[in-house]
Amino acid sequence: MCDACGCDLTHTHTHDHDHDHDHDHKHTHNSQVIEVHQNLLAANDAIASGNKAHFEAKGIVAINLISSPGSGKTTLLEKTIERLKGTIRIGVIEGDIETDRDAQRIRAKGVPVIQLTTGGACHLDAAQIHKGFHLLEHEPGGDKLDILFIENVGNLVCPATFDLGEHQRVVLVSVPEGPDKPSKYPKAFISSQVFVISKTDLLPYFDFPVAEAKADALHLNPRLQVMDLSSTTGEGFDAWIEYLTSLHSKNQSTGA
Amino acid sequence: MHEMSLVQGLIEQLVALAAEHDKQRILTVTVDIGPLSGVAIDSFQFAFDILSKENNLTNEASLTIINSPATFRCVQCGHEESAAVRPDQCSKCQESLLIPEGGDAITLNQVELE
Ligand SMILES: Nc1nc2c(ncn2[C@@H]2O[C@H](COP(=O)(O)OP(=O)(O)OP(=O)(O)O)[C@@H](O)[C@H]2O)c(=O)[nH]1
Ligand SMILES: [Mg+2]
Ligand SMILES: [Zn+2]
Ligand SMILES: [Zn+2]
Ligand SMILES: [Zn+2]
Ligand SMILES: [Zn+2]
Repeated sequence: MCDACGCDLTHTHTHDHDHDHDHDHKHTHNSQVIEVHQNLLAANDAIASGNKAHFEAKGIVAINLISSPGSGKTTLLEKTIERLKGTIRIGVIEGDIETDRDAQRIRAKGVPVIQLTTGGACHLDAAQIHKGFHLLEHEPGGDKLDILFIENVGNLVCPATFDLGEHQRVVLVSVPEGPDKPSKYPKAFISSQVFVISKTDLLPYFDFPVAEAKADALHLNPRLQVMDLSSTTGEGFDAWIEYLTSLHSKNQSTGA
Repeated sequence: MHEMSLVQGLIEQLVALAAEHDKQRILTVTVDIGPLSGVAIDSFQFAFDILSKENNLTNEASLTIINSPATFRCVQCGHEESAAVRPDQCSKCQESLLIPEGGDAITLNQVELE
């Protein structure tokens, strides 16, 4: 039935065909109601699936890092690259609103990196990653990678909405930010596989009940894998490295 | 905020629909924003109010936002309840770990044009 006027004409057809609306309506209005039922993220998600297929064709596991500004994403990557040097080939796509500082820090560690600047946008989207990954492939060493890290724009809200085609999503909260982040910004925690509490060397100086923050995150998403670490002291880093190594070996055994 | 990019995409889609159907004006737009979509309804409305004015096809359009519930499944007993806000615990067994399903989509449901 027509939602615009209540007449019993079927207006609920899909609109991938050519049709005309010259059927006799008993009324004079000429407005038409179209049932669309399409996800607003459909365009992004289609590109994200393409990215994922591209990563998989090259045997790569992709990880999307999400956190507020300054939670320690780039520092975590620097230390991770040092620890995995010679065992796992890492590439990085850096997302920032402006500047290529983070890319410079990663490049100094000797791995292929591409900086994407969003020019104001508060998140990366799948189309940017599509472009960025092609650029990365042409960097020295960028053609053969095991793990691709995507460091998203520092923002705990917006990046959570946009699938980039990653296999794993990792959300970070640093000790100085406080333990209430999971409850305040649930989407990032619901959509992630891993929750990292970073900067644990600062625990003596901040009121951050680790167990409570973990419980809140698990309450939102019981499937979350939770770890806490300090990039500065290396405390807790083994669990993170173990997570990456096992991702990599699982990928090698299934991807071959 | 990302609501701006989402509304930008919505307006592009509306323009395409109008062209496909040979219509000149968008009258009403209905969007379903799931409670776990990470989209703030007020910001979405605000972005729509601003961006729809910039286009002759959409400058008189009114936006209706609906908020379909998500499903929460209990990890203990498997009971499912649908709610717009996460329940504190399972209503059957009081377990507090509930796995959300659905409720994370942002869907353009319906458009009225002339
Ligand atoms: N004490 C302490 N400081 C840290 C740790 N990790 C990072 N930092 C410091 O935190 C600040 C921000 O770190 P970054 O790694 O740049 O953070 P980010 O998340 O990449 O920041 P954006 O890219 O701007 O969002 C720097 O001054 C780091 O030295 C840590 O484990 N302990
Ligand atoms: Mg950074
Ligand atoms: Zn009608
Ligand atoms: Zn391509
Ligand atoms: Zn945003
Ligand atoms: Zn239960």
